[in-house]
Amino acid sequence: MKINSLRLQLLAWVVLPLAGLATINLWTSHGSALATANLVTDRMLLGSARTIAEQVAMTDGVLDATIPPAAIEMFDTGDRDSVYYHVKTARGRLLTGYPNLPEALTPSSTEATYRDHRLRLLTFSQGVVGAGKDSPISVTVGVTLAGHDAMVRRLWFGAFAQQLALVAIAGLFVLLGLHRGLAPLIRLRDAVRSPNRSDLDPVEVPGAQSEIRPLIEALNAYMARVRAQMASQRRFVANAAHQLRTPLALLSTQASYALRETVPDARHEALVALQASSGRLARLAEQLLTLSRAEPGSRRPRADRVDLTEAARQVLETHAPIAVSRNVDLGLEEAGPAPVIGDGTMLREMIVNLVDNALRYSSSGGSVTVRLAAVDGEAVLTVTDDGPGIPVEERDHVFERFYRIAGSTEEGSGLGLAIVREVVENAGGRVTLRDGAAGGLVVDVRLPLASS
Amino acid sequence: MRLLLVEDNRELADWLGKTLRQANYVVDIVHEGEDVEHALAAGGHALVILDLALPRMGGLEVLRMLRARGNRVPVIVLTANASLDGRVKGLNEGADDYLAKPFQIEELEARIRAQLRRANDRTAPVVACGDLVFDTNTRLFSLAGEPLALTPREHAVLEQLMVKAGRTVSKAALSAAIYDFETDADPSAIEIYVHRVRKKLEGSRVQIATLRGLGYLLRHEDQ
Repeated sequence: MKINSLRLQLLAWVVLPLAGLATINLWTSHGSALATANLVTDRMLLGSARTIAEQVAMTDGVLDATIPPAAIEMFDTGDRDSVYYHVKTARGRLLTGYPNLPEALTPSSTEATYRDHRLRLLTFSQGVVGAGKDSPISVTVGVTLAGHDAMVRRLWFGAFAQQLALVAIAGLFVLLGLHRGLAPLIRLRDAVRSPNRSDLDPVEVPGAQSEIRPLIEALNAYMARVRAQMASQRRFVANAAHQLRTPLALLSTQASYALRETVPDARHEALVALQASSGRLARLAEQLLTLSRAEPGSRRPRADRVDLTEAARQVLETHAPIAVSRNVDLGLEEAGPAPVIGDGTMLREMIVNLVDNALRYSSSGGSVTVRLAAVDGEAVLTVTDDGPGIPVEERDHVFERFYRIAGSTEEGSGLGLAIVREVVENAGGRVTLRDGAAGGLVVDVRLPLASS
Repeated sequence: MRLLLVEDNRELADWLGKTLRQANYVVDIVHEGEDVEHALAAGGHALVILDLALPRMGGLEVLRMLRARGNRVPVIVLTANASLDGRVKGLNEGADDYLAKPFQIEELEARIRAQLRRANDRTAPVVACGDLVFDTNTRLFSLAGEPLALTPREHAVLEQLMVKAGRTVSKAALSAAIYDFETDADPSAIEIYVHRVRKKLEGSRVQIATLRGLGYLLRHEDQ
């Protein structure tokens, strides 16, 4: 059986060994009780035999044995014991007493059965002056074992009661100690369970022992982490909701305009614009989702083996139509596979955001180049555009979510580079910005190469 | 009525402008807080619609600056931050009303009308001068019960005179109220518009009087 209660476990660990010890103790004390009872009985038998023997004397030339009552009465302990005796001469003649009573070997006592009673017997020899060849006489006294056994029981039960009390008291103290010792744990449980605790505040348990403190500290540290994560999620959701408001206002305005416009061409123009706005809103929602997935802890970390070159090729293929429509020269320069370990979907999304940004900020007739290389154990993905670039003082900020460079006229979400950084750092890499040789922006993404 | 729209999201600004022009408002658009003061310097704007989240000089700062210079133009604040704090701040800095994004254009228009009514000390949505009636809700004129067809410029002229009915409106004030930045203000063209409006009012009991050196005055014969 498996015991899940700490109390029961500790109780079992204390009380069971103690009970075992008590059992051994009882066994030995039974032996000593028996020995004591034997000793006492033997002394009495000896005393009785001596008393009888002293009364044996030659009276008028005849060996006479009278039994003094005291010799028998000393066995009257209230246990209704029967006393048997006989006195024999050295030649075996019975002077008095019960015939056929077995004799013990002097000087020790013996146990025997007589008339269906178990007896403890002792034989005592003593010379009698003037008895001639009848001397020494032997006196045998036997007593049934009721008084003896009662004494054993009394002695033993006393020990038994003591041991039992000891175990019981020990168990009681264990429980009491556990109750007191576990009180901080119970308070901790109550504090954590309390319905008022929805805010993940640190738990305070006054009087907690040094063994429980680390548990409380770990719990508080854990709650602090959860609280921080929740706060960041809350900020993100609030920010996201905030960022969706302006595009939604735009959609609503365009729809209202189209509804009121009676000139077919103007109405058509409004509807086309409305469609473009809703596409951008969808893209924003997608980016928000990507970003929330890229957050640590929001998605099971994946360790796919991804060929960055192949991923870049796929992304460029899907973006080619946009590049053509914007009259931007989009190109890929690669030197074979660049395998890295990371979340494949997120890595592709990272490239999408880089290419999307580059295309967005390139003017008509410009060019965007995606270059892949393996340098010093790193896969280096470089995206170069010839757009306006990013001023040095803005470069730290552009990785912040929803950050938009003041005065920027492009309709970006301010999420693209935040996604890039989040994904790259999750994959153990880093991303840096620099000026292009002929203006524009160069984004370098470095990721550890996967070992082949 | 000439409005100034301050919104950094260019697309939203463009489409809001288009929609308001559809409703016969004269709309100027600026994208930066710094440009507001200059835009208002010309005069003639009856109301400002101000987004709070402007880059560099924020909406609240613009508002503070306007009120500090004693400009009392009604301001409706647009905010993507619907928090109580943001709204209270806006109103405390001297905004007359606020609207949280996303909003329905109908609500924005209703709030514009309400502010314009208050600015002109009116409570009724319908303005009448003799048998000429202007419904500020539909933004349409009617003469003796019949709809009066006007071009946007004519509409702007007549609306301005109507709002100030019984008072003189100078040529300069009329010009400031009807031309937006994109148009080269031509004071002599005002005369042409007034002339055209007069023709459309012919046969009614309403007339536009010219007061030499002062401007124009809309009045009806019962006055």
